[in-house]
Amino acid sequence: MNLSLWALKAGDRCEILGYDEVLPENYRTRMMEFGFHPGETVACLLSVAFGAPKVYRVSNTIFSLDEEVADHIQVRVLGPDG
Amino acid sequence: MAKIILIGSPNSGKSLLFNRLTGLHHKVANFPGITVDVGMGKMRDLPDTVLVDFPGTYSLQAISAEEKVAVDQFHLALQDPEVEQVLCLIDATRLEKSLYFTLQVIRDCERQHKPVTVLANMIDVLDNHGLSLDVAELGAALHTPVLPVSARTGKGADAVIRHVSAVRTAAVQPSRAHLLDAPDVLLRGTAHQLARRYGPKGDVLVRTQTRLDSFFLHSVTGGISFFAIMYLLFQSIFTWSAPAMDAVQGAITAMADWVVPLIGNHVARDFTSDALFGGIGAFLVFVPQIFVLTFVIGLLEDSGYMARAALICHKPLRLFGLTGKSFIPMLSGVACAIPGIYAARAIDSPRKRLLTYMAIPLMPCSARLPVYTLLIAAFIPAGTAFGGLVGWQGLAMFGIYFFGMLCALLVTGLISRTSKDHYTDLPFVLELPPYRVPGLVPLLRNSWSRSKHFVTKAGKIIFTVTVVIWVLGYFPNYGTDLGASWLGYLGRVVEPLFAPLGLDWRYAVAILTSFLAREVFVGTLGTIFGIEAADDNITPLVQHIQSSDLHIGSGLALLVFFAIALQCVSTVAILSKESGSGALALKMFVGYLLLAYAAALAIYHLAAVLG
Repeated sequence: MNLSLWALKAGDRCEILGYDEVLPENYRTRMMEFGFHPGETVACLLSVAFGAPKVYRVSNTIFSLDEEVADHIQVRVLGPDG
Repeated sequence: MAKIILIGSPNSGKSLLFNRLTGLHHKVANFPGITVDVGMGKMRDLPDTVLVDFPGTYSLQAISAEEKVAVDQFHLALQDPEVEQVLCLIDATRLEKSLYFTLQVIRDCERQHKPVTVLANMIDVLDNHGLSLDVAELGAALHTPVLPVSARTGKGADAVIRHVSAVRTAAVQPSRAHLLDAPDVLLRGTAHQLARRYGPKGDVLVRTQTRLDSFFLHSVTGGISFFAIMYLLFQSIFTWSAPAMDAVQGAITAMADWVVPLIGNHVARDFTSDALFGGIGAFLVFVPQIFVLTFVIGLLEDSGYMARAALICHKPLRLFGLTGKSFIPMLSGVACAIPGIYAARAIDSPRKRLLTYMAIPLMPCSARLPVYTLLIAAFIPAGTAFGGLVGWQGLAMFGIYFFGMLCALLVTGLISRTSKDHYTDLPFVLELPPYRVPGLVPLLRNSWSRSKHFVTKAGKIIFTVTVVIWVLGYFPNYGTDLGASWLGYLGRVVEPLFAPLGLDWRYAVAILTSFLAREVFVGTLGTIFGIEAADDNITPLVQHIQSSDLHIGSGLALLVFFAIALQCVSTVAILSKESGSGALALKMFVGYLLLAYAAALAIYHLAAVLG
């Protein structure tokens, strides 16, 4: 099932498919520098209350992304994080 | 003197390693126009070699103006013949994030024929978790020497110094250039492959972090711990620094009591007493507060909690154009704007930092308290309502505090909407660093360095303004009558400006002198009204104001004026230094002055209409 990264719940894992054109080039560049490449597996570790930025793990690094960015990263859900 | 550049990503432990390699002796310089620090220090055991600590950056492909300055400075430094080598620090526990940047550094150094050594930090963390990094294999893959180090324990630091020395004496041959023409996209792919091949396997490193995050970011336990930690932070600014502030004030007073009577000439005596000791005392008293706040904020940063606090606050502050990282500077501003402005350094987005600078002076700082206390006592009845549950004066104090905070958010909210914000700034992508035990010695040194910066940089401006105001208030009648001084004359000149608020020249003079510090307003009014030590006991001054014919609308107008106006030379001076823009500080001073005046005028007329 294809979703945005922001739609993931805590415990979900996904594979990054790509970025929306809405997201500017500099944002996409920085995200890929952080390891959010198409094809990379990302786990949603925490979905903090009241719409606060969510916590994601990519490789061995943990990032917090807000909706403004995460909503424009297209992903394929892989299932719960083992 | 030979220079060695130390460069690395944020959160890679660069500052700690810099201190290890230099023996904690460094000085700080600023790039012109921005607040990016470049630390410099002689390398331990290599007295003819200077280590240059470049600001942490995620990439050499800058995506903001401020990053571009840092990257441009790095490229300029590579062209400097004195720069002999580059040390590139990576986080061995999070290779992917570090390796793309490392490959960019290696490529750009190859282009300038500068040898690079990669330092794999946090090797102790890998050891503790039974993991390892094959530095020889990684070095072979990068065609660059890779040395394991631990900035925290110091392990490997001696080997780094020996290696730097060996490269200098050509005992180590430079590597063959292999990335000269590699585009960034190729480097990104290579970094990804290398991280997969050599990076630590498994998730043991993030498991502890995730467990702690489940507590600190939980909607209940996270909220409680956030308020508890912020309460401690606030206490540190207000309460813990108070004894040291009192001690500084006491020492200056004692010194003045000893020195001043020894001076024969009465003009020199008055100058030494009022301008020199009074002026120096007015800003030196902030030093303990800056020291304590810098230390506590350092503890939060080093422990990894600061990033979590920013995450918790981000959503509500974003509504007003700010970021979660604005919260701590703004909270600090409730005690004093100066440490708040220093704390805003942690905000990586230039736009958000600017908006935070604009919010901080509107936060109700402690210097406003004596002014509010005087005006509320003079104009608000002391009665209570709801069976004694609500006191009008307490409600007024709460109201004026809340008004300041509301103004701060409204100003930033409005300004952030006047220009395009969406996607023109750095994205809110916050790396959550691992939780760590902070290193106390570097934190203490940093706090000392920040306090020294305040004294040396802001002190000159503050002292100059103090002397100017003293001269205006002292001459031509040698301090016998403030009303007959040049300052009194100036008060009468500007009186027409304050007349629409129902205020005469005496209040105008008090407002002028309060630019030194807001609380000076109380003492100046006391002097003009002939009331001794009004700033220690305000009751006679309150009675004097109450018995005068000053309208309540004027009192409320003064309250609103002081809530908004940037009446503090120390804040203006620090704003100018920290933002690197005297024009910004001037614009903020004038802008808030006009806004304060307009709001005061509106309140005065509203009060007149309501009777």
